[in-house]
Amino acid sequence: ARPGGMAAAAFERRVLRRAAEHHYLRVRLELPDGGARPNAAQFKQIVVSALRELHGEVGAALPVDVLTYEEKTLSAILRVISSGLVKLWSALTLLGFYQNRRCAFRVLQTSPFLLALSGNSRELVLD
Amino acid sequence: PALFRRYVLCEVVSEDPRCRQCIEDRALGLAVRDAIARVHGDYGLACCSISFTVKYLNAYTGTVLLRCRKDSYRLLCSALPFVRYLESRAQRYPCFLNTLHVGGTIRTCQKFLIQYNRTQLLLLLQNCTNEEERQCVQKSLLSCSLTEEQSQSGDEEEDDGTE
Repeated sequence: ARPGGMAAAAFERRVLRRAAEHHYLRVRLELPDGGARPNAAQFKQIVVSALRELHGEVGAALPVDVLTYEEKTLSAILRVISSGLVKLWSALTLLGFYQNRRCAFRVLQTSPFLLALSGNSRELVLD
Repeated sequence: PALFRRYVLCEVVSEDPRCRQCIEDRALGLAVRDAIARVHGDYGLACCSISFTVKYLNAYTGTVLLRCRKDSYRLLCSALPFVRYLESRAQRYPCFLNTLHVGGTIRTCQKFLIQYNRTQLLLLLQNCTNEEERQCVQKSLLSCSLTEEQSQSGDEEEDDGTE
């Protein structure tokens, strides 16, 4: 829509594709055997070793950060560079064992904006 | 045609002269695939293994021609510097691979190899340290010639006699 009255002003629209540097994932690790829970450093080690198995040394060198980690629920927020999202997500999906214990990663939410992870419409309770 | 392949021409460089005897397709194929598995993991290994073979080997000059899919040649080329030794009969010989040329067909790689060998022979002649070597190299250079299909002329020094 043209701003009224000023013929000289032009309308401009900017579209940014894939402009976000990082992608954020909220994940939960499931360890059904009910043994000792890994701490934050061990959790990061699990993520990096999953990347190393599927994508080698190049994958293990991907800049992945664990922003938050809750040991009680084994859920965490990971941050990864946008070009590495596919590698990280595929590595988490295909991880089957942690120290000979069966495990699985569930990816709950993902977004290029961290703020978007604060609300989850799937767990919304309507009263 | 959707089946595109890339042919990677490299040479095996080693300080140990015994390394030449284990330049054979099985040992080299295993070494390259092991390097891809280390650098690019299970996904990279599986990707590059489709249509992966050692197409040509020359143990005298250490020339190797590898073939892979066009979609995964970058994974292969980036893993080649990580080959550090060749193994044969439970013995390891340290070496490294120099990538010379990447081509789309065997013919382009062959053309490049002929040209490359010509310049290498001239360099060898320049770097000869004593008169005897010089005579030897000059004699084999002058005796290079194109022959008919039946007989191949030339000895070890000549690699571009076929065209």
